[in-house]
Amino acid sequence: MSKAATDRIIMHIDMNAFFASVEQQNKPELRGKPIAVIGSTKRTVITTSSYEARAFGVKTGMNTWEAKQKCPHIIFVIGDNRRYTWTSSQIVKLMMQFTPLVEVFSIDEAFLDLTGSMGLFGSAERISDLLKAEIKHHFGITCSIGIAPNKLLAKLASDMQKPDGLTVIRPEEVSQVLERVPAKDLCGIGRKTERQLELYGIKTCGDLGRFPVEILRKKFGIIGERLHLMGLGIDDSPVIPAEDADEVKSVGHSMTLERDIEERKEILKFLLQLSEMVGRRARRYNVWGKTVTLSIRYADFDTWVGKQETLTQHINQSEDIYRAAVAILDSLVLMQPVRLLGVRLSNLRYASNQLPLFPEDRKKAQLVEAMDEVNDCYGDFSVTFGSLLDEEKPKDKGSHVISPAWRPDGIRNVDVK
Amino acid sequence: MLQRIREYIRVAVIHGPGPRIRPVWFDWRRQKHTVREVTYHWRHRTGDDLILHYSVTDGTALYELVYNTSEQVWVLENIDADKA
Repeated sequence: MSKAATDRIIMHIDMNAFFASVEQQNKPELRGKPIAVIGSTKRTVITTSSYEARAFGVKTGMNTWEAKQKCPHIIFVIGDNRRYTWTSSQIVKLMMQFTPLVEVFSIDEAFLDLTGSMGLFGSAERISDLLKAEIKHHFGITCSIGIAPNKLLAKLASDMQKPDGLTVIRPEEVSQVLERVPAKDLCGIGRKTERQLELYGIKTCGDLGRFPVEILRKKFGIIGERLHLMGLGIDDSPVIPAEDADEVKSVGHSMTLERDIEERKEILKFLLQLSEMVGRRARRYNVWGKTVTLSIRYADFDTWVGKQETLTQHINQSEDIYRAAVAILDSLVLMQPVRLLGVRLSNLRYASNQLPLFPEDRKKAQLVEAMDEVNDCYGDFSVTFGSLLDEEKPKDKGSHVISPAWRPDGIRNVDVK
Repeated sequence: MLQRIREYIRVAVIHGPGPRIRPVWFDWRRQKHTVREVTYHWRHRTGDDLILHYSVTDGTALYELVYNTSEQVWVLENIDADKA
């Protein structure tokens, strides 16, 4: 590794069983007990579980009945996404006390570049102690921390001791540490790549680093080179704070429905709600998109459909997004009842559109603008489409999914009640 | 079991130091509940309104108290009656 590469000090923080830990703090009765967080009373898939439940073999994605079999005294808790997003935002603020170079990786993970912070704080281990203590003090929860010369190794290190661990991989220890670490433990090597590597007899990072790069290149294309470097523990990717991140490439929302649905009328209602959420966010950040994607996950949880349609012009009005989503829906034959729906606007342009030429279109644009102003002031769906107003408030109908792209600020900050 | 209430209530709070707010007791259905512990708090925005949430326990149940900072009203959002 070059000197510049080994001089960096990167920290990866992974909140331990984040949602479950927050729930255990919220309700002291749950502390020290096996709990699993689920989306709603009618939902049966586990979002996450406490370490006490994991000890019985309970895993994310498991059904509640399966979890009950593994751990008969498990307690199911309905999650509250707003509690998690607020806590995550506050923890990121704590991290920013130590460096401005914080890259939020997901709601419960972040990278910090501490290279420039040593003069102030002395060592990365000290920062780790201070940060752990602050998080524990403010929220009562723990995290696992990895410190290494790059993001790849820092993430690997944070996985090595859970919960509440601290693992440091020093530059001179890299090859020794990687020798026996399974290649699948590296971030970016999924099950499919793992199987492909195994066909070449590659099981550990050591094997991967030694394997001829030409063969990897031939098999995996440009990724082959990257795999080779990963096997050697080399990763030059920078820690990118939100303000330096690339412009987002899409705006989307998805929601797991409280119960599986199959009636077209019902599906349309959710599509309209999702289109309004996508449209609102697109308009707030002044982005226009040309491609609309509809995602559907079926009741069996394993199968899903994603289909997109590229339009002739850029749009960001909810009604236009909805119309495109419905057109996609009508081109599909639904195989099962639906458990999740998602609408996404991509192929984005960051600019204000020209004023509509025709009076009718101008009126429509003004109406949307007026609705947005009211909703900005009084909250989403304060003024909305009449067809969304029935016995339930639209915003209460589904549980919104916290996507991996969620960020504490900016266009990726999604209200996920 | 979680029970949704959504009723306006009277809450005694300590403001400060700084912007901190701590509920100390609340009335609900003619009964005074003394807050033994604020177990968690979080906030969110609805439009222009900043909404503060407090999970509190009186030793018998867990209550979610919600304060709308614009309207300056307290709501008892829900009760988790399993021992808190």
